Amino acid sequence: MRILLVEDDAEVGRFVKKGLQEAGHTVEHVPNGREGLFMAAGENFDLLVLDRMLPGGIDGVRLVETLRGQGNHTPVLFLSALAGVDERVKGLKAGGDDYLVKPFAFAELLARVEALGRRPAVDAPATRLKIADLELDLLSRTVTRGGKRIDVQPREFRLLEHLMRHAGQVVTRTMLLEKVWDYHFDPQTNVIDVHVSRLRQKLDKGFEKPLIHTVRNAGYMIRAEP
Amino acid sequence: MAPPPHPRPGHAAGRPPPHPVRRRVQQHPGPLWRLLSSTSFRIALLFATLFLLAGLAFTGVLWWGTAGTLERQIDAAIRADALALAERWREAGDDAVAEAISERLALDAEDQTAYLLTAPDGRRLAGNLEQLPEDYRTDIQWYAMTLLRDGIPGEARLYVVQLPDGSHLAVGRDVGEKLRLRALLTEGLAWSAGVAILFAFAGAWLLRRWLEERLIPATATAALIAGGDLSPRVPLAGRDDEFEALGRSMNTMLDRIAHLMEGVRGVSDAIAHDLRTPIARARSRLEEALETSDDPAALKGALERGIADLDNVTRVFQAVLRIAEVEAGARRAAFAPLDLVPLLADAAELYGATAEENGQTLRTEWPKSLPLTGDRDLLLQAIANLLDNAVKFTVPGGTITLSAEMQEDAVLIRVADEGPGLSAEDRQRVGERFFRADSARATPGSGLGISLVRAVVQLHGGMLWFEDGQGTQPDYPGLTVCLGLPVA
Amino acid sequence: MRTMPPRLFLLLPLLASLPGTAAAEALRTVPQDVSYCRELAARLAPLPGAEKEPARSLAEEGVRLCDDGYVRTGVAKLRRALKAAQGR
Repeated sequence: MRILLVEDDAEVGRFVKKGLQEAGHTVEHVPNGREGLFMAAGENFDLLVLDRMLPGGIDGVRLVETLRGQGNHTPVLFLSALAGVDERVKGLKAGGDDYLVKPFAFAELLARVEALGRRPAVDAPATRLKIADLELDLLSRTVTRGGKRIDVQPREFRLLEHLMRHAGQVVTRTMLLEKVWDYHFDPQTNVIDVHVSRLRQKLDKGFEKPLIHTVRNAGYMIRAEP
Repeated sequence: MAPPPHPRPGHAAGRPPPHPVRRRVQQHPGPLWRLLSSTSFRIALLFATLFLLAGLAFTGVLWWGTAGTLERQIDAAIRADALALAERWREAGDDAVAEAISERLALDAEDQTAYLLTAPDGRRLAGNLEQLPEDYRTDIQWYAMTLLRDGIPGEARLYVVQLPDGSHLAVGRDVGEKLRLRALLTEGLAWSAGVAILFAFAGAWLLRRWLEERLIPATATAALIAGGDLSPRVPLAGRDDEFEALGRSMNTMLDRIAHLMEGVRGVSDAIAHDLRTPIARARSRLEEALETSDDPAALKGALERGIADLDNVTRVFQAVLRIAEVEAGARRAAFAPLDLVPLLADAAELYGATAEENGQTLRTEWPKSLPLTGDRDLLLQAIANLLDNAVKFTVPGGTITLSAEMQEDAVLIRVADEGPGLSAEDRQRVGERFFRADSARATPGSGLGISLVRAVVQLHGGMLWFEDGQGTQPDYPGLTVCLGLPVA
Repeated sequence: MRTMPPRLFLLLPLLASLPGTAAAEALRTVPQDVSYCRELAARLAPLPGAEKEPARSLAEEGVRLCDDGYVRTGVAKLRRALKAAQGR
């Protein structure tokens, strides 16, 4: 992916750029909003990673509003030290697609970057999701593996759906909390792990190949290959 | 700060003396100026002006009733006299009128009348007036003018009739009475205006003193607080007036400020208390790893633990800021009508799995719907925090109950566990930031959970209290946390 | 507000002037002289009450004042005498 990183802190910028490059992305890094807007409007990027508070008169929110006003719909991930709920809402309202509070674990950032960047441009009205021998029918809301029906709770269904829509990508615990439970705070204990392990038990019971994998220090991933 | 320049002796001679230090004289306004610029003076002045206007209106009516009546009477007399003379002229001619005029003048002991009869060519035939008014016009009959009697000026009104043959008859009367009356009224008004202004000043002074006296408690308290001591409050005398209201609202404001200050202090305490420890731990681990460990795996482990420690620091920091944000009341803007039931269901669903994993049972109990106005995210977080605690402290195999019910004007939420419970003293102290009961020392947690719950409940205008739990084992009496949230 | 009271004082004389009245220049009366005193005395003489008090003494005083040059006062006395003589 071609990613534009607008971040005024040199150290954080360098760290993020290096990490994203190691993950196989091309990264352009500019230190202020003016240059960021110039680049974002002039060139094609798959994703913008923006700090909210930027020097140069144009902050992250202004930048996104301007881009959206020009009809540019490149996905935007905000990085911000502003952690209040209202701040998050402000960022998303301005046209941001995701919001990550500093300090963050790089794995979290990478997972979110990949989730945003590989998002289908138009939500294809898929009715079935399939990974290996696991099938998810979105209309009848049923799960089958190897033709065998598996009973899941509604929430477990949503959890599985989210994992399968991002098959092959790391999905972090906070992402699951936000997307599946619509929680926007840290629940302190490992509640998500419990839910995932219950789902995993249901899916893998009686099958040789596990499908839901734990990615150390990051989160979970569903994929066919071990 | 440079020292002030000293004039050097050699240069001082032959020059004007060094510019005197311009002393900025603090301009103390005189007592009169202070009085004039005070609100009470303006109020008093307003009343004085109203008083004056009322006086003017009264005088106007009086004037209309006295001087006006006098004038109308005089005018009527003049007109009657003139008409009688004109009639006489038609009956008997110039000579009869001249005689009548002389007769009338002869009897005018007060010397207040004026008559004139002129021939068509303007010649004076009779009367004591020298001539018709210079600006006499045939279409105007009434004239007000100064009449000089032997050189002594007086005010008079004159009525002029043109007779059919072109001669003129003028009849007039002095109106000195009216002028005297006017002078009298003007004088009276001037006096009362003076008195009104005097009253304005005296009233302003009294009002000012009274206002100052009533405001002293508020201003004195404000001065003390400006001096740095936040504890004094405006003493209230128990009267039910505007000043008491001011004092009360000042006290409410001060309580709020003190509370916020405590919050700020709480944040710094938190940094001192709960952030130092993990930071120190992380630091010593990293240092130790740097100095002693040559084993890459051990080094990596130390680094990972260091990062975990830092994440914990961030978590505590986030929680402290969140509490401060909630306590500042900044989130009232996010209040909206909501149903508490799906919220409770979400929380129960999220923590139910964990409870089950621990071999605990999570029982739930609530009506179909619990309408409420509040902040969805914060309420959810508060309930989540309570469930988190309950799951943490309840013994394996124990039961946790999350229930809610609608009371008259409040929703009552209860989270009951089968944990070690809280002693009476500890219940008092729960909610102080970072308070952790001794029995909870071994359990992970920042001790900020209940603080946030308390802040959220306060933001919603509700109450938080504790009751005995549902535990059956002797060492685990359990604890019930109750939240009462007003519906409106 | 501060300039109001003086302005209101100015309003007072306005109350006095009535519509339909013209303000005229100053007029003079015909000067009263000794001959007017004589005329008044002559007008008094034939009246029946002229010899009664107080008309008589008033007239006497009036004539004397006129002769002494106090015409205005003398005229006033004579007019009062005339009034008294006519019983008014």
